[in-house]
Amino acid sequence: MKKNTKFNLLLAVILIGTNFIFGGTPVSDENTVLVPVKEDPTISFRLWFKVGSQNDPAGKEGLAYITSAMLAEGSTTSRTYEEIVSALYPLAADYYANTHVEQTVFYGRVHKDKLDKYYELYTDALLNPAFAEEDLNRIKSQVLNYLENSLRYSSDEELGKAALYNFVYDGTPYGHFPQGTVESVRSITVEDVQAFYQENFCRENVVIGLGGGYDKKLVKRLQNDLGNLPSDGTDSSVTAPEPAEINGRELLIVEKDANATAISIGFPIDILRGEREWYALALANSYFGEHRNSSSHLYQVIREARGLNYGDYSYIERYPNGGRRSKPMQNVSLRQQMFEIWIRPVPNETKHFVLRATVRELEDFIENGLTEEEFDLTQQFFSKYVLHYAPTTMARLGYALDDKFYDIDGSHLENLRTIIPSLTREEVNSTVKKYLQSEDMKIALVTNNADSLKSALVDEIVSPIEYATPKDKEVYEADKVIREYPLNISADDVRIVRVEEMFEK
Amino acid sequence: MSKNLGRLFVLITLGVMMTKTVTAGIFPYDYKVNTLENGMKYVLIPLESPDVVSYFSVVRTGSRDEYEPGHSGFAHLFEHMMFRGTKNFPGDVYDEMVTRIGADGNAYTTDDYTCYYMTFANPDLEQVIMLESDRFQNLEYSEEEFQTETGAVYGEFRKGRTSPWSVLYEEMHELAYNVHTYEHTTIGFEEDIKAMPTMYEYSQSFFNRYYRPENVVILVVGDFDEGETVTLLQKYYGEWEPGYVAPKITAEPSQKEPRARKVEYPGRTLPILDVAYKGPAFGKNKDDMAAITLLGDLAFGENSALYKKLVIQEQKVQFIAPGFEKNRDPGLLHIFSMVKAKEDVDYVKELVAETIATYQEEPVDKATLEELKSREKYQFLMNLDTPASVAHNLARYIALTGGIEAVNEYYEALVNASPDDIQQVAQTYFVENARNTIVLKGAE
Repeated sequence: MKKNTKFNLLLAVILIGTNFIFGGTPVSDENTVLVPVKEDPTISFRLWFKVGSQNDPAGKEGLAYITSAMLAEGSTTSRTYEEIVSALYPLAADYYANTHVEQTVFYGRVHKDKLDKYYELYTDALLNPAFAEEDLNRIKSQVLNYLENSLRYSSDEELGKAALYNFVYDGTPYGHFPQGTVESVRSITVEDVQAFYQENFCRENVVIGLGGGYDKKLVKRLQNDLGNLPSDGTDSSVTAPEPAEINGRELLIVEKDANATAISIGFPIDILRGEREWYALALANSYFGEHRNSSSHLYQVIREARGLNYGDYSYIERYPNGGRRSKPMQNVSLRQQMFEIWIRPVPNETKHFVLRATVRELEDFIENGLTEEEFDLTQQFFSKYVLHYAPTTMARLGYALDDKFYDIDGSHLENLRTIIPSLTREEVNSTVKKYLQSEDMKIALVTNNADSLKSALVDEIVSPIEYATPKDKEVYEADKVIREYPLNISADDVRIVRVEEMFEK
Repeated sequence: MSKNLGRLFVLITLGVMMTKTVTAGIFPYDYKVNTLENGMKYVLIPLESPDVVSYFSVVRTGSRDEYEPGHSGFAHLFEHMMFRGTKNFPGDVYDEMVTRIGADGNAYTTDDYTCYYMTFANPDLEQVIMLESDRFQNLEYSEEEFQTETGAVYGEFRKGRTSPWSVLYEEMHELAYNVHTYEHTTIGFEEDIKAMPTMYEYSQSFFNRYYRPENVVILVVGDFDEGETVTLLQKYYGEWEPGYVAPKITAEPSQKEPRARKVEYPGRTLPILDVAYKGPAFGKNKDDMAAITLLGDLAFGENSALYKKLVIQEQKVQFIAPGFEKNRDPGLLHIFSMVKAKEDVDYVKELVAETIATYQEEPVDKATLEELKSREKYQFLMNLDTPASVAHNLARYIALTGGIEAVNEYYEALVNASPDDIQQVAQTYFVENARNTIVLKGAE
């Protein structure tokens, strides 16, 4: 492996110097979250750094993501990345970084038998990164491939969601993808990474998460060792975003040669988990669009009754990797959330119809809420379904860290178990009316023939639908209304972007 | 803490100390296997997972069993149709009953089997057994419902089609197989999916032949009363009429010469190289499959010399990885790599061939092999930490062999695999005449 030894030596001196001068104060008990499971033969590590893509400097979008990848997948001052891979391999353990908008976590799980060796490697990665040029080149190449190829071309629904997030939060620290843009990633240097690490991956920003069969000595050891993280005393916190007001229905059409159309819809909502109303809204959302579940009302309307796609869901919290996960991810918390609808790809000829059907269902949901029967069924379902959210120690640890993020007195998992069964239909329906609306929203579509879609939408062209197979009478009756349902979109509120331009700069 | 969970820890530790022969099996939990008179097998694995039970119905039919031309994709279609209800519980009633259980449930289809699963609170166990047994015996759907579901399947096909990996898989299976049903992937050929709406009657025949007790294994894992569960299984499945008709699958003749294909993908992607050899049928060749799995990791895994050369040192590829499938019939042993520059594809191809040659010529280092075995065992055991993960990990073994014993046999073979065994499978399976190569390139 080619390695710039001189550079790494210099860096080691800088790091050691830094730690010598500023390091040493152990991480406090207050910033340590523990989920002990005495009998568990494994130990789960989950370190949360209060840094994410919101901290990326302008023009260096993706820097938090790349810095965390350099820690998890890079050399240290004493080991090359190759040596680290070799050392981890027989341990049947690894460590990973996940950088989202506000949080970065380093997580890994190891059997007690292998703890000592693993601990050494895990802490070495965080405390003594080499930030080697060749590691940066490798990681940048992976990120660029993801942005230029995978995200733009291999999953239109992920592309649609990413486009929506940037659209809704445009102009705020939330307004760029965690992996950044092609231009910004290309510009990132070793010096950028080094400076970002020093400023953000610091002692003041870390919260320790430990779970499973650890002993008290390990807690103390980790608290002490992480006291050697950099610390310059500066406050790197970022103010929560204030997304621009949405006026009417604004569209972003990402144009490409797509064989089907992916649709994502969203708008910011002013509520966070922990409050009773959040749980009322969560129950309502479970009825309207429970993730990857046939109980979702949208799913019933678009997939089950009409067979137009693979699934249709809604969210009141960000839900990354929705295509691959069936339960919510932890440590992707946000201080500003949005209501989001995810319509999986539909045949291109039905896109206008499906958009109308979706908006109509949302309006009806807000106006009329859940019936007594729907409420009863959803409450029973959701009360039990949430029991599956955290089956492992690692997941429970993730939730415990998120409780700290949201400053929840008690536990979100416990709240789900206790509050959901206590909600009333009136409470749920009034919460829907309070927080959701359908007039001001942003819509991202990934599709072909963008100009003709724009004309059809703006001119409210009738969008009849034909099915290859017979449907129930009620479906045909509803379709007569849907095909002419007004969307009230003005030409000025429609922007068309070629896919090649997405995430370019 | 259950006896079974405690055993997990003990056996992991034992596994490390024993380097040669495992007399006790690696699977750490007590289990019971029984077969009803009608041929339906069930496996019970009690764990102390407070109030939580996982209930898996493994149908030993996958896209492999779609041997009639023009009918690919039906095993997967049934994964959808099975949620359409019965005469006892029509679709909307079934949906409501399942919803009230609040289960974490779904289904998936592979080339060799279809798996329906639910994890739920144990007071609902009888309700689950009743509903599952009912739909497996009494599934009923109208032609309209059937046709609507075929639309959802086509939607799933379109969704997947945007990925170069879907295109690559389809092309590789078509290239590597001429007569065996592995020629098509699980979702099926597009023309067959398009034609599905016209095949209502065929769908009923498919169900009647394959959804039979002799072809299904029920797996119950978690916190449940064993005696009560046995009674319930007998009560609800006991009357299920046998009648399984085995598919007429033609064995793939041995490949006589290397095959290669270039594939154009309409979207953008870095070039993808897939070199695939024909492997063994898992059930009859567990020893070989264990040695092959070890070889895959040694030669192409993250700790391999080739990975370090191509990914870390030269940085010519985004990744290289083995994808060695365990299959009921001889499956494919893939070596995948995403190459950064199209000019380097041949170079990577050559290095793959050189690496294989090295393992054919020289036995592997014993210490390295032992480290890898330890890793494999720890990984397997660490992944058995919830009822659902235990069941998910066992489902394939059960589907391929009809029983749970294959897990212990496979890991025993893995623990006992010697450098000579690794060399031998390299020489037997990774031969030029059994090689299939695809280079997929994206649009410029």
